[in-house]
Parts: sequence; C-alpha cells; structure tokens
Amino acid sequence: MSREIIHNADISTAGADSIMRKYVLLAAGMGLAGIAALAVAGRTSDAQQSGPAVADSIAATVLAAGDTAGLPGLRQPIFFRHDIHAGQYKIECQYCHYSVAVSSEPGIPTLETCMGCHTAVSGTDSASRAEIRLLRTAWSEKKPIEWNRVHFLARHVHFPHANHIKAMGPNACATCHGDVARMPQVYKVNNVNNMGWCISCHIERKVTRDCTACHY
Amino acid sequence: MATNVDRRKFLTVLGVSGGGAVALSGCSTDRVQKLVPYLVQSEDQVPGVPTWYASTCTECSAGCGVHVKTREGRAIKLEGNPAHPVNRGKLCARGQAGLQGLYNPSRVKGPMLKENGAWKEITWDDAIARLAQEVGKASGRVAVLSTPARGTFSDLLDNWVGAAGGTVTRWEPLDLEPVRMASRLVYDTDAVPGHNFAEAHFILGFGDFLETWNSPTEQQIGYAESHGFNGDAARHVQVGARRDLTGLNADEFLSAAPGTEAAVALAMANVISGGGSGPFASLIGEWTPDAAERASGVSAARITAVAREFAAASPGLAVAGGIAAQGDNALALAVAVAVLNSVAGNVGRTVLPAAAVPTGDGLAGMQRLMAAMDGGQVGLLMVHDANPVYALPKSYGFAEKMAKVPFKVSTGHFLDETAEACDLLLPNHHALERWDDLRARPGVTGLMQPVMEPVFQTRHTGDVLLGVARAIGGGFAQFTAASFEEHLKQAWAGSTGGDAGWRAALAAGGAWDGAPAPSSSAAAAPPPPTPAPAFAPPAAPAEGDFTLVAFPHAFLYDGRGANRPWLLENPDPVTKITWHPWAEISLETARRLDIRRGEIIRLVSDHGSMELPAYPYTGLHDRAIAVPLGFGHTSYGTFAQDAGPTPLDLIGPPGSTPWINYAGTRVQLEKTHGFKDVATTEGNPRQLGRGIAEAMPIEYARRGLTVKESHLAAGAGHHEINTPLEVEAIAGWREEQIEARKLGDYAEVHPAWGMSIDLSRCTGCSACVTACYAENNIPTVGYDDVLRGREMSWMRIERYWEGGEDGEPLEARFVPMLCQHCENAPCEPVCPVYAAYHTVDGLNGQVYNRCVGTRYCGNNCPFKVRYFNWYKYNEKAWPEPLHMQLNPDVTVRARGVMEKCTFCIQRIRGAQHDARLEDRQLVDGEFTTACAQACPSGAIVFGNRRDPASRVSEVSHDPRGYVVLEETNVRPAVTYLAKVLHAPEAGA
Repeated sequence: MSREIIHNADISTAGADSIMRKYVLLAAGMGLAGIAALAVAGRTSDAQQSGPAVADSIAATVLAAGDTAGLPGLRQPIFFRHDIHAGQYKIECQYCHYSVAVSSEPGIPTLETCMGCHTAVSGTDSASRAEIRLLRTAWSEKKPIEWNRVHFLARHVHFPHANHIKAMGPNACATCHGDVARMPQVYKVNNVNNMGWCISCHIERKVTRDCTACHY
Repeated sequence: MATNVDRRKFLTVLGVSGGGAVALSGCSTDRVQKLVPYLVQSEDQVPGVPTWYASTCTECSAGCGVHVKTREGRAIKLEGNPAHPVNRGKLCARGQAGLQGLYNPSRVKGPMLKENGAWKEITWDDAIARLAQEVGKASGRVAVLSTPARGTFSDLLDNWVGAAGGTVTRWEPLDLEPVRMASRLVYDTDAVPGHNFAEAHFILGFGDFLETWNSPTEQQIGYAESHGFNGDAARHVQVGARRDLTGLNADEFLSAAPGTEAAVALAMANVISGGGSGPFASLIGEWTPDAAERASGVSAARITAVAREFAAASPGLAVAGGIAAQGDNALALAVAVAVLNSVAGNVGRTVLPAAAVPTGDGLAGMQRLMAAMDGGQVGLLMVHDANPVYALPKSYGFAEKMAKVPFKVSTGHFLDETAEACDLLLPNHHALERWDDLRARPGVTGLMQPVMEPVFQTRHTGDVLLGVARAIGGGFAQFTAASFEEHLKQAWAGSTGGDAGWRAALAAGGAWDGAPAPSSSAAAAPPPPTPAPAFAPPAAPAEGDFTLVAFPHAFLYDGRGANRPWLLENPDPVTKITWHPWAEISLETARRLDIRRGEIIRLVSDHGSMELPAYPYTGLHDRAIAVPLGFGHTSYGTFAQDAGPTPLDLIGPPGSTPWINYAGTRVQLEKTHGFKDVATTEGNPRQLGRGIAEAMPIEYARRGLTVKESHLAAGAGHHEINTPLEVEAIAGWREEQIEARKLGDYAEVHPAWGMSIDLSRCTGCSACVTACYAENNIPTVGYDDVLRGREMSWMRIERYWEGGEDGEPLEARFVPMLCQHCENAPCEPVCPVYAAYHTVDGLNGQVYNRCVGTRYCGNNCPFKVRYFNWYKYNEKAWPEPLHMQLNPDVTVRARGVMEKCTFCIQRIRGAQHDARLEDRQLVDGEFTTACAQACPSGAIVFGNRRDPASRVSEVSHDPRGYVVLEETNVRPAVTYLAKVLHAPEAGA
C-alpha cells in the first residue's frame, strides 16, 4: 500500500534544529487522496482551524481533522499526540517506553497502559474524544493497534537503548528522536540509519568506534 | 506468516517480521513497518531481553533437562539445564534440533478428518465429538499405541483406556529390550543398569554408547571425565563389526564378525575367572579365547591381554550398547557383558543395577497388538507419539493389519506414514507448547511447561482425552479435571506441596533426589543366570553373503529427526555424509568387487532390495554391510521426502527373538554400475604431515611433554618450523606489530578473546555444530549445494584418518575447526573494503554490511573457515514457520556476503552491555560461546586470554597445547590440546 512519508514539511516546530533536513516524499496522488479521505471520514467534521499549529511547551494546541493533513510524519491509526502527553502533561518517556533502560528495545506501551488513564480520561474536545473512542474500541475488541513505525534501524545494526540511556541520562531520547514533546505527530528528525551521524557522537564522546560494537 | 501465527497475542515490537528474519537488505526505509504492542503487559517478557524457561527434552527417552531461550514470546534456542542430574547443562545435536520439530513446516496445523481419501479441516469441537462417538462405537475394543515414556499423561491415558475398555501398548523402535532381559536374568531387575563412566579406569565397549544408545549425553559427559586426559586417562577398547563414532574414539578396536561380539565377552570373562571356573562356569567354561577367536576372528592373544587389563583396572566398565545389542545374539551379548562386569568386580561400582521402572511392552506387546488388529479385535486404534508404519520393517505388515481397524486416530505432530493411514488427526501440542512431565528414571522427573503460544491450532492430547471423557460421561465420570494443566498440578500437589513448591519445581525443571538408588542386589555378587541364554555363533555366511547391520543414524536416530534440516546437514561423524543414506562396505569387499565410493550397489535380501551409494570403510568387518536407519520416509514433510531407502525394507518378519533384528539379515550385493554423488563435507581424509590434529602417547602426556618434545621423543627428526630467513622476517614483523598495537584504540587495555579445545575430550559428536547453527542463524544449503562445497557450517568437525594401511591400526582424529581469530590474520589485509579487520579485543571481525563479496579473504584463509553466501540461502533455508527460530541478535546474511565464526560476538557484546549497565567488570565464565556451552565433553573453553586467571589462559598453557599451521605465523587465538593415545601396555 502506498502511503505518504513526509519528513519535516513546512512546519516551524520550535524544537526543530539545524540537523533537520527538509524533504517531502509523496506517494502516488491516489494514495494521498485516499489517506486524506480516510482522515476526514475518521474524524468528526467540526474542523475549525486551518493549517497546522505550532505546539508550545506548556499547552498543546487543539488540532482537528483539517489541520492534520499537513503535519509531518506518518499518519497513525490513532492520532496519538506526543505533544499533549509528553509536552503538556510532562509524562516521562519511560512511563510508556518501559523497557528503554533495561533492554535493547525501548518498548511500546501496551493497550493496558493507555487504558490506565483513558478509562477515566475521555478528552476535552470532540477531536480528541473521537481518538480516545478508537482506543477504547480497540481495547474492548482486544485488537492491538498497529502503529506505523517511524524509526527503524537496519537489521545489521544493533543499538542497545539501555546502554545509551545509562550513559546519557533518562532524558537523552531527544538526542536521536528530536523534541518529541513538541510534535503533534511524530516524524523522523534524524536519519538513524546514517552511520556518520552515530559516529560523530561517538567521536565527540570518545567512546568505541569499533565496527563490531554495532555490526554483528 | 501463517494465519494462526498472526493471531498470536504475543506479537510485539520485534514481532514485526520475525525478529532477525529480515535480511541484510533491510537498509531501505521506504517500506512502512508495523509496531504492534501487547494488549496487556506480559509479566515475564521484556522486549529485547530473553526469557528462559526450564523444560525437558523429548527427542529421545533419556529425559535431559533443557533451558529454553525465548525472545518476544518465541523459543529460539535450547540449551542443557545445568542443574539437571542427567545432562548437567549439556545437550546433544538431536536435543537442540527439537526446536525444528516445534517450527517444522510439515506439522499438522489443526484437527483433520479423512473423507473419501482426502483430508478435510474440521473444528476441535467436531473432532472431539467424533472421537467420543467412535469410542462409543468401538465398545471396549479400543487400542492405544504409545511410547514407553512414563509420566502423568501416561497414567491418565491408562485410566482413560481402562474406562473406554481396551489396551495400551507401549513400544518404540530400537528399544533396549535385550539389555533389560539380561538385567532380569543377571540382576533380577527390569531396567537398564546405570553406567558410571566417569569412575571407570578401563572402558570396554561392545557397541555405541556415545551417539544414540540409552542416554548418550550423560554417557558422553562421564566418558570425557574418564577418557579425557587429566594427568591420566582411562583406556577404551571397543569390540564390534562396525567402527561407529564410539569405536573411532576407542584406543583400540577389535573387529569381530557381526553377531559374534558375545563370544569375545564370554572369553574375556573366561580369562578373568581363571579358565571359566566360578558361578558362571556353565556359561563361560567352553568359551576359551581360542574358541572365541574361531567364532569372531578376534585374536585370542588380544582377547586375553585386554581381559587381563580390564580386570586389573578395577573398576573397569563393560557396556553392551548400540546395534550389537539389537541383532543376532543380542541377549547373549547383554548377558555376557553383565557376567564380564560381575567377574571383574564392577557391579556396584561402575555398573549400578537400577531399581525396576515401568517400561514398554517391547516387540512382544507390538506383536499382540498386530495380532489383535489382524483378528478384527480392535475397533478404534489411537496412535500417540509413534510411527510404526515407518519404523517397523515392512515385512511385519503393520500397515496391512492396521487397515483392518475400522477407525484410526493419530495425535502426532506430523503427517507421517502412520498419520497418513489414519482417519482422524488430533495433533498434540509440541513439548515446548504444553504442560507435561516425564519420569526419566527412578528419582528423576522432568517437567515441561508451555514456553510460548502454540504455533498452530493444535491441542494437548490430555485435554482431548478429558474432553472426550466429558462428552461421554458414564464410566468416564472419574475424570474431573477441567484441563490437563489442572490434572498435572493435582498430580504434583502431593510431592511439591502447595503453590510455592510447584513453582520451585517448575523453575528447576522438575524434581530429583540426587543419585539414582541402586537396587538391593547391587552390592552382592549376582547369581548365575537361569536359564543361561543360549549363544550360538552365527554360521559363516555363504560365499557372496553379507550380514546387514542397520544402525541408527547419529542424528536422525530411528527416523524421527529426518525432517530437521539441522540434522540432515550435520555430517555423519564417521562418513561425513549429509542429506542421504549410504551403504558401508569393507575395504576388502570394495577391492574384491571393484566398487568405488558413490557407486550404486543393490542390496538384496529375501524380503526386499534397495539401491544405495557405496561407502568403502576401513572400520567395517568384511562380512558386514552397514546402512543407516532414519531415511526412507514416504510422508514426513519436504525435508524427509525422497532422501533414499531405509534398510528396514530388507529385514524379515519377526523371528524367535522378542526384538527387531536390526543386525543379522543376510543380504547379497549386486553391482549396478550407476553412480551417485556422495554429499560429503570431507576434504582430504589424511593430514599429509600438516600437523592439524596432533596426538601424543599417554606416557609422554603423563610426563608433561609438549607436542614438539613428544615428536622428538618418538624419534622424529628435529624439524625447524621456519627457515632462518623466515625467522628473521617474523621477528621484524613482530616488532612492527608491537609498534602498531601502540596506536589509537589498540593501545588501550582490552580483553583478548580466545579459545582452547581439548582433543583428548572431543568425541566428534557434533553437538557444537548444531549449537552454532542455532545461535548464529546459519542456513542449511541442501544436498546439491553440499556437493558444490557450499555448506555454511561456521563450526565443523574435521575427521582425519591415521594408519589403517599396511596392517597398522586405524585411528581417527576429530578436530573442531572454526575461525581461529588469528592475531596476524591473512584474511584481513586482502579485503579491499575493510570488511575483515582486527577488533581491539582480538577478534577477527567481519562486517557484513561492508562486505562486497570479493572472496579474497576466503581465498587467503589457510583454515577454510570462511563461508560465502552464493545464493539467497536466507530466503529458502527457513520455510515458514521455521524462520521463527531465528536469533534476533544475529544478522541474517544475504547473498554475496562472506561470513564466518564470530566467537559468538552477540554474546560477548551482550555480556559487556549487561556489565556496563550494572557498573561492573565482566567475570570469567559468566558467558561463553554456543559451542562451548553445548559441548557434552567439556572440550571447549572460551574466555579472555589476557586475564592470566581465566580458565582459557590456564588450559591454553597446558603442555599439550599447540596451534594449527604454526609455520604460517598467523598466531591463532584457538589453542588445541593434543589428543592422547592410549596404546596397549608394552608387552601386553
């Protein structure tokens, strides 16, 4: 299935820094139209604002269907907003990405984790209420949500998250993943498959540059 | 991915596409992958961190304990349970390949009913209702065929069949019936005695005890303890018609005509008891060494000398194992060996007659079942864990008799020959998917627990039985448990006492109470057996006649391993043949009839004929032709199909003996003038003076001589390894290398990983090879590509012949060969893209994503341990769902990439990461490579050579230590310890 993959389109996110490269990859127009139609159908029609908004660090902006089409990053089955969870409510990354400090894998929150809050939290506006309804439906139907993967490392690279958290502290996530706390929809800030990018950090920090540290 | 796999709730982050299953070409980021979280947090799964479960191996009846490594809800590796009394942390090749039974593409994926000759998928509810209906219809004429394995399930089965009205027959091929019969006669107990190999000072073998017989891993552990050199070593003499792997490990081999091994054993007992006096006089009196020589062809002088040595060793250990105890005169041999142990005073010391255990019904029980089926007395046949249509000789007519049963049910994992002949398939969970237990022997019970969700829509046969009981009611009302899991916990509640005890037993992998209890008659001298079993040496065969020796394949065993590519591609330890059967003929026969290797010969008996490629073998008696069991499946999945015939087709109907006569059928040999390419991984079988597999006589080893000193002491001329010019060049190079080590990261203090391999312990069993395949995602390449020399075995066992010509005794030397991680590696400087390079911690690194496939490195490697991916093996070696076995920590290599042993770098890096997380240093022995972990002999030691206190440093400094191809100055990180030769004592 063709989908649009948009990396950092025209959006002046406050956290975006100089490493960000601007390029837009659009899939076939049909695919785009299909996705846009889906987006409209999937959300209530009370779209008021036009154009994507800038998230600030205190309160995430209300976004509605019409706003989201222009957001960078992969469209997800549920419009989960890191800017609200990690930005506005300042929930620790590790609350959801539970294994990042103990494993090579960061861990994706289980539906149970989501429902821990969303049994009670139903959303403040119709747009978010619609998304939370999707979550609750998935929970009641016992169907896990198939998130679209934004970051993935080539299979011949082994990246132990835990050791990087250990060395750089629990809030080091942004070093690679960008300021997710300000992203309404997560997009790729750094190409994690660019080895030069890994190595520049390893040189700066005077740590191993041995090939077999990561490749085996 | 199979549909039912998709539905599994364990899908998680790495579940995206089977962990490491995505090949190297996964650089591209233009494909959208899915991240699928758990619904509910699993208590014992953390993505990226392995979870281990204790379980029990069911690949043979030994009952070894295993630890199952799971990642993201999938079993990815089996290792021995270090606390288990049977296998003490080790696991053989067959046990490790249990994983390929779990993920085998040929598994029955759900219940099926045969309608008009075609299989139709049905639901479990319908299947259970149908079985209940058929049980009612059979009205007391239910017959169940199962294995001798005992546990809570077999008790339930007994009671269930009791309620249904009928009988349970317990049978398996290669049953140890003759040995148990001998135990009954000599020790008055109905069990195979325990053998304490570790305490024996002299081992006298009359058949294989290292490959497949009885409890091979346990026996190998003990054998390595006594026969491996540690200041001194036990001597091992083997008697037999075929020199199997056990025979090749022996210090001396006495070639006896097939079926006459008992004469040799009786004559040795005769010698020890001073000419046949004493309580066994009636049995051994007539068997003087001369009489034995006439019968067997073994020289009377050797019989006498070995007997005296055996008696003097005290304690020694004589073992009637292998195929000699399955053929003509098997009972006579087993009794003779028991007598031999008795007169030599070994009973109670190395031979521990065990308390009687409930065992199978043997061939007699099977014959009763066949007669009942034939006579129309069976209304419903249920086959559980057995494949008699394949495993019984065709001449027994099992399939025809089975066809007379109105309704047949199979609970097997695979659509094998027996399942194919059934009407209803109720596939059982694999051992790694179910609750179960196994009474390995008195005092040792292993537990099994589900380590993952079932791969397919299978169901525990225990639950099926309980479901049928509920459906029928009435006489089945006694079965109240809601599930087999509950039934098992109830059964264990008495001994474990509550939830905590049950959990402790589960974590331990079962319950055991130390050493097996010897029976009361252990210490006492056993009485003479009555009646003494008759031993009649087989008549000398007519001209052109041979005796067929159908021996169990070292890996496929009776055929149950034949659908597992790891076992098919693992070269047979003796012949190094993969993927197909062969017929061994003696060198003399080959010369006489002018038969070459690979020439197709036709074997004809009174009951059938077959064509097989010939393998002329020095270690075979002239009168014998040896053919491995295990091939010849007509229905056992794609890997097993069309592999070649099974010698079972030559064996005649049941005779007077209550065991299948695997060695004794008369066959004729006919030439066909056809040829088949023999898929052997063997290169030159001779060392040609290269010093690859060194050995030294035990007296030199005892004196602490080095390999070079040993050569000099043996009278070899002084031999300079390098010429003076070379020495000068090497010295200059060494200085340069020391200077280079002061540069950059190399200047810092790092570990220097290294390995030592003790050839006096290595038996060539090849458990390490399978462990390496499992750990490192090594693809199997199949028959055609083995012929082209393209097998990918990072770890291989080289087998070299010494002697065997001009009357010299044949000697085999086994050398595990893997990347030597040379300090001065020839592969590194020739790589144009720096894919092969030296890491700071002494590894010879291979960076797959850099490799462009020039193969210069492989060309320059003197050890031939680099393997090139000529084809897309990664796409065809693991047909679904076999790919679920892949280790997500290791990259799956794609076509065009060179690969080789990495010293299990994923384990090194993993341990280093863990140590860093815990702010500590690595501890020697906290991790090891997959091969060292598996090795039942404990021959392989891995560690940091730079740490003088590490075990590998200690072992590498043994005087027997040497490196292979020293003259090339490549400075390997692998040190071999020379094999120790234990020749007959001077004057003996």
